[in-house]
Amino acid sequence: MKLNKRYARSIKTDLSFYVSATVLTMVTLLMFYLFYIAGTGINKYGDDFFSKYKREDATFSTYAEIPDEKLSALETKYGVTLEKERFAATDEGDYRVRVFSPNEKIDLYEIQDGHAPEKDDEIIISAGYAAENNVKVGDRLKVNGKEYSVAGTFLRPDYLYMVENLTDDYKNVTTFFLAYMTPEEFKDSFGGGSINYKVIYGDDTDQVAFRKEINENYYMASYLSADSNMRITFVHEQADMFIMSSWFILVIFPLVTVALICILLGRRIRAEQKLIGTLSAMGYEKTKLMRHYSLFAAIPGVIGGLLTSVCALILSGPFGSLGLADYEPMKPQFTLPVWVAAAGVVVPTLIYWTAAMLRVRKLLKEDVVKLLAGQVGNDAKSRRILTRSKKKVGFKYAIRQLVGNPGRSFVIFLGIFLGAMITAFGYSFIDSVKAVGEQAHGEFGTFRYEYVLNTLEKGAPDGGEAMLILPFEDGDMRRFSLIGLDGDATLWNLKTTDGGKADIESGFYISTLCEAICGVHKGDEFTFRSIATLEEHTVKIDGVIRNGYQNYIVSSREKIAGIAGLDKENYNAILSSSSLDLEKDRVSETITDKSFETQMQNMLNAMSGLIYAFIGIGMIVCVASLYATVNTMLSENRHNISMLKVLGFENGRIHSMIISSNHLLLLPGIALGIAAAYGIMAWYCARFVEIEKLMIPATLKPFSIILTAVFTAVCYFASLLLLRRKVDKTNMVEALKDGRE
Amino acid sequence: MFIEVKSAKKQYGTGEAAVYALDGADLSIEKGKICVILGPSGSGKSTLLNMIGGLDSLDAGEITVDGQKITGLSKKELTAYRKQSVGFVFQFYNLIPDLTVEENVEVVAEIAEKPLYTDEILKALDIEKYRYRFPRELSGGQQQRVAIARAMVKNPKLLLCDELTGALDTRSSRSVLKFIEKVNAQYGTTTLIITHNEGIAGIADVVVRIRDGKIASYTENDHKLTADELEL
Repeated sequence: MKLNKRYARSIKTDLSFYVSATVLTMVTLLMFYLFYIAGTGINKYGDDFFSKYKREDATFSTYAEIPDEKLSALETKYGVTLEKERFAATDEGDYRVRVFSPNEKIDLYEIQDGHAPEKDDEIIISAGYAAENNVKVGDRLKVNGKEYSVAGTFLRPDYLYMVENLTDDYKNVTTFFLAYMTPEEFKDSFGGGSINYKVIYGDDTDQVAFRKEINENYYMASYLSADSNMRITFVHEQADMFIMSSWFILVIFPLVTVALICILLGRRIRAEQKLIGTLSAMGYEKTKLMRHYSLFAAIPGVIGGLLTSVCALILSGPFGSLGLADYEPMKPQFTLPVWVAAAGVVVPTLIYWTAAMLRVRKLLKEDVVKLLAGQVGNDAKSRRILTRSKKKVGFKYAIRQLVGNPGRSFVIFLGIFLGAMITAFGYSFIDSVKAVGEQAHGEFGTFRYEYVLNTLEKGAPDGGEAMLILPFEDGDMRRFSLIGLDGDATLWNLKTTDGGKADIESGFYISTLCEAICGVHKGDEFTFRSIATLEEHTVKIDGVIRNGYQNYIVSSREKIAGIAGLDKENYNAILSSSSLDLEKDRVSETITDKSFETQMQNMLNAMSGLIYAFIGIGMIVCVASLYATVNTMLSENRHNISMLKVLGFENGRIHSMIISSNHLLLLPGIALGIAAAYGIMAWYCARFVEIEKLMIPATLKPFSIILTAVFTAVCYFASLLLLRRKVDKTNMVEALKDGRE
Repeated sequence: MFIEVKSAKKQYGTGEAAVYALDGADLSIEKGKICVILGPSGSGKSTLLNMIGGLDSLDAGEITVDGQKITGLSKKELTAYRKQSVGFVFQFYNLIPDLTVEENVEVVAEIAEKPLYTDEILKALDIEKYRYRFPRELSGGQQQRVAIARAMVKNPKLLLCDELTGALDTRSSRSVLKFIEKVNAQYGTTTLIITHNEGIAGIADVVVRIRDGKIASYTENDHKLTADELEL
C-alpha cells in the first residue's frame, strides 16, 4: 500500500511523541524486568546452592551430648541425615568470629576465593565480611588471640543471609564473620567447642517422634527448622518479594503508561480524521485503514519492547546485583527468560495496536462529511462552560482546555501523580527505616547490654537483671520468645499500649510485633508449644507492649520457667545498663543497644542504590509522560498558537494561555501521588512484618513531602520548558495553511 | 506614503528548486485607501501580504509602514508591530474554536493598547446576536465577519485580508465586503485585500496586479463601486 510510505515521514514529523512513548514503555518494562530478573535469579541460585551443599532441614542443640554411635542409630531409625557440628564464638574487640570445624554431610561450604585451610595457621572466612572489609587471601587475622593467614573465602547454605544472632533484624558483615580452620586446629584451640546438630529429614521421617526421642534422651535446648531460620528463609523470601513487586509494578505502572499512551494515540488518530475521512471517501477499505494506523501505534511497543529486552540482557547483571545487596556475595546467573522478553515486546505492541484499531474503527463509524470537516470530537459540551462568564478570555480558554479534553488532562494528571508517587515512595522507605532506628530505643527498654548465656544458670545475675528467654512456636510454626522477668525488673520495656505498666507477676503480655505475626490480641487465649518438648500450653493475653522489633510474650520468670518445666530460679540471659565482665565461655551472644540502630543503618546503606534508582525512574516517568502529553497538546493547538502569534501575542503569553491550565493539575497530582505512596508504603510495611519479622512504621516526613513536591514540580516545569521551543518555532504561515476551520 | 515596498525579494528553496516569490517588487499605498492586489496562484501576492504584515522577512529590499521600517525588525519587534498596527483576515477565518464569538474578539482586545469596544465592533459587523456561539455553530460568512471583528477590535492602522471571500458564496462574499467597506469608512483603516477574484477590484481605491513576484501594474480606480454594485 502506497499509503505506508507515510510511516517514515510521519515518525520524523512526530518524533518527540514516538521517542517519549518509547521511553515510557521502556522505563516501565525495565522496572518490571529489574525486580523479576533479581527475584528469579536469586531463587534459582538458592535452590541449586541449597541442594548442592546439603542445606539442613533443621538445627538443634541439646543439654546432653548425643554420642556419635547414637547418631548413626538415629539416622537409620528415622531415615534422616544427622551431623554433629562443632563451633566456638570469639570476640576480638573490633570483630566477633564464629569458628566452625568443617562438616562432612550437612551445610557444606563452597570456596569462593583461594582454597580450604590446609595448615594449622590457615583459616577461611565468610565472603561477605571479606568483601565488606576488603580482606584478601593472604591477609592475616587474629582469631581467639592467634594470628591466622586467610586462605580463602566461602559461602554456606545456612548463612546466605548473615545475621549474627537470630534475634537480629538485619545482617552484620561489618563486625561479624564465620571462619573454618582445620579440624585439628579447631580441637587444639577450642577443644570440643559448642555443639549444634544438623538434620536433613527423609521423605518418610516422623519428625515429631524424632524430636520427642531427642528430647526424652538428651533434652532439647533449642530447635530451629530451616523454615524459621531467617539466615535461610530470607533467600527465598526476599526473592519472592522481588517477584511479587515485579508483578505489582507490572500491574500498576505499565497499565498506567499503556493507558496514557493509548489515550495519546487516540488523540493523534483523531487529529488525522480529515485524512481518514478523505481516504474513506476515496474508497479505502475500513480494514486497510485500521491496519495502517495500527502499525503506527505498534511502533513504540515494538521498539520499546525490543530495546528494553536488549537493555535488560545487557544490564541483567547490574540489575540483579541491586537485589543482592543483603546477601552474602552470591553469584547467581541473572537471565531474562525468553518468554518474558517476548511478552515485553508482544504485549505492549498488541495493546497499542488494538487501541489504535478501535479508535480508527470508531472514527470510521462517523459520518464521512463530519470527518472531512474535522468535526468529530470537537463538540464536547464541557467545552462550552463559562460561556457567559466575564472572566479573562485566557482563563476561560485554559479551563475549557482542561475540562474539554478529559483524556488529555487525565494523562497529564497521571504523569504528575506517578512521578510524585514513585519519588515519595522512595523517600518514605528511607524515612520509615530511619524511624525504626529512632523509635526502637524507647520500645526496647533502658538496658544497654543483653548477654545471652550458653547454659541455664541460677543465683545472682552478676549485677544485672536475670531474664529467662526461651523459643516457642504457635500451631503454624511461627516462632516467638517467651520471656520471664522478675517483678522488680526495670531495664526491659514493660509499658503497655494502654499506658499502664505490665503486671507480669500475674499475667502474660504480648509485643505488638508478636501480636501482628501470630494474630493474637489482648484478651485472647493463645495456644503454643515448646520447640523442645512439643508440649502445648495455653495462656490468656492480658495486654500488649509496644515493641515492633522484638517478637515475644513476657511474664514472670516463675511462670515462664513453669511452662518450660524449669526451676523458677533459672535464667539464661542477663540485662544490664553497663558492660559486665562475664567469662567468655558463659556468653553465646551479646546484644547492645546500638546493634539494632547499626543494623537499620546498614539496611539503608545497602538499599540506597535501589531507592535512588527508584526515585530516578519516577522522575523519568514524570518527564516522559508529561513531555508526550504536552507535546500532543501543542500539536493539537498548533493552529491556535500560530493564529495567536499572528494576532501579536508574545510567546510567553501564548505559552501561558495554552499550557498554564495544566498547572491546576499539579497540586492535586502531587498530593494524591504522595498519599498513594504512603498507602503503598503502609502495605509494604505490613508485608515486612511477615517477611522480616519487623514492624516498620510507614513514615513520610514533612521534609520528604517538600522534596517530593519540589522534584515533581521541577520535572513538570522542566518538561514544559523542553516544549517551550515548540511554541517559539511554530511557523505562523505554514501552520495557518494547515488550519481549515 | 503609508506603505512603501522597495525592491522586495524573497526566495524559497535553494539551487534548482529555488523559487522567487518576490523578485524586486515595488509598491506604495496611501493611508486610508483600500488596495486590491490581484494575481494568479503562485504570483507572490500572499508572500507580499505576509511581508507587509510582519509574518515573514525579506531576503532583500525594504518595507516601511506608517514610517516604521519593518525589514530588519527582531522577532520581538515584529510581534509588537503585529499587535499594535496590523489586523489580519484569512480565507479560512482561523478563529479559535474553543472561544465564543465574543471571546474571539475579546482575546485580541485584551492585549491591544487602545482597543475598540467589543460591543461596538460586534454591532458594526452585525454579529452581536451570535456573541455566545462558537465558530463551528456559524456559517462561513458569519465566521468571516467575526474574523473581521477580531482584526478590527484593536483598531489597527492596517487591515490585511488574504482571499477573504475565497471560501464564501456570492451572497456571503458581498456581505463581508460591505463590512470591509464599512470599517474602512468608519475607522479609516488602510486595507489591503489580496485575491484572484477580479470582481472584487471594483471596491478598491488602488488595484495592483502582481505576476512572477513583480508588480505588473498599479492603477488608481476612478470608478470605485460599492460592494452591492460588484459583479462577483
